[in-house]
Amino acid sequence: MPNYLCLQRRLSGGAPGPGKPSPAQMQAMYAQFNAWRETFKTNLTDLGGRLGSGRVVTGQPAPDGPLVEVKELVGGYMILTAATLEEAIEVARQCPGLVHPGSGVEVIEIHSPA
Amino acid sequence: MTHGLGERFFRHEFGRLVAMLARRVGMRHLALVEDAVQHALLVSVESWPRSGVPDSPSAWLFRVAHNHVVGELRQRSRRTRLVEEHGLAHPAVAAAAPTATLAGDVRDDLLKMLFACCDESIPLESQLAIALKTLCGFDVREIAERLFTTEVNIYKRLGRARSRLRALPFEPGDLSTEQLRARLPAVQSILYVLFTEGYLSSDADQAIRRNLCDEATRLAHLLAEHPIVATPESCALVALMHLHASRLTARQDGSGGLLLLEEQDRSAWDQAEIHTGLAWLARSANGEVFSRYHAEAGIAAEHCLAPSFAETRWEHIVECYTLLERLAPSALHTLNRAVAVAEWQGPEAGLAIVRGLEPPSWLAGSYMWMAVLADLHGRCGHRDRALRYRTLALGLAPSVAVRDALTRRLQVDARQR
Repeated sequence: MPNYLCLQRRLSGGAPGPGKPSPAQMQAMYAQFNAWRETFKTNLTDLGGRLGSGRVVTGQPAPDGPLVEVKELVGGYMILTAATLEEAIEVARQCPGLVHPGSGVEVIEIHSPA
Repeated sequence: MTHGLGERFFRHEFGRLVAMLARRVGMRHLALVEDAVQHALLVSVESWPRSGVPDSPSAWLFRVAHNHVVGELRQRSRRTRLVEEHGLAHPAVAAAAPTATLAGDVRDDLLKMLFACCDESIPLESQLAIALKTLCGFDVREIAERLFTTEVNIYKRLGRARSRLRALPFEPGDLSTEQLRARLPAVQSILYVLFTEGYLSSDADQAIRRNLCDEATRLAHLLAEHPIVATPESCALVALMHLHASRLTARQDGSGGLLLLEEQDRSAWDQAEIHTGLAWLARSANGEVFSRYHAEAGIAAEHCLAPSFAETRWEHIVECYTLLERLAPSALHTLNRAVAVAEWQGPEAGLAIVRGLEPPSWLAGSYMWMAVLADLHGRCGHRDRALRYRTLALGLAPSVAVRDALTRRLQVDARQR
């Protein structure tokens, strides 16, 4: 089955989110994330993590553009395994905290040599 | 499903970490400490599901929160150039090295934080708010919901508490054994109020009310299990809370209405809570002291032990109320004694006590006063007076649940016992 790279994208213009979660809300988030992980454990190949700052390395001086400060736009990544793009999208959509007004996820198929 | 972490892990870690860090860097940095703990918890929520829960989650959280505090303090020091000018490390940072976190130390930190929150210079309502924030880990919205007020109001209360805490002439960690003992009654009474807020509130959401009772009980245990302040009064307070908590569920019918004591299904009372309460009551009977908490726990225990409403040992309850009146004189306690006497020796005897009472205005204008009068007059056959007081009582009922319960209880003509 193919792998899919998921990139969490901060959406410009979206609401900044509900603010700081309280400890009780964090407890709920933690439980939801674990439940999601349990449900899709066969799909979750690499849970990845948050991405920090980065730099584009090229032969020329770094171009002006969003890639200079990757963290501005990409919050985190993970790698899913799924039969189809649609299935991967569904797994990512159900990941708690990933898809909300201020954040979306880009799901990209990773081609492996056949 | 919380994967090995307790159901209130994050909230209680919040309280624990705030107390530990505030002890190390000083109460004046309380806001910074709360931010750091919030940060650490958030990091754990994001990373533990990926990496697994560390062997010692509490130590992990402490390290992250501690590093955050130290980093922030260093940055502040740099900004104010204090470090360079005085050639000193920030005293708070230097003292803040993560030392062994023994369970005993943590209990000590929590206890002292509780004592600081209950400082007499802080208004009572702010004491409750700051204790719920720092020790119980509720946020402003959650506190507002539990204390039946607005978020703006809670912000104000917390602001007042924080400014007083910053101005405290002592650090909680420096409180001596004598000082702790001297402040103990004030702390006990705050916990009592906190419990009562949960127990007597007419909010239909039982989970929310239960929350407050549980937190008050948890903090009271902190007192009753700490060598310095585990006095008989502290034990009686814990007993009182468990004994009342045993009836929390049975006090409500399926739709959130209040059930009167005589209407409750006694088999639904929580036997584990009753046993715990009775064990603490036994421990509280150690020494010469008999406090108001002893009297109240004694009354609650009598109710818990009675096989039915009719078989309640009213004479014991009357005795406890008599003691309670002596220890904490209040017309409300006398009124309660009158009710118990009416069950024990008949409505005329109860009415005689009420007649001898000059109720203060807050009681004379309350539904409780009117309801007791309506009930006693009704049972004495004084139909007109019973009806008059019944109307007054129903009009003064603070909630639908209370009014419904009163309507059932005060059926003047139907009532034959």
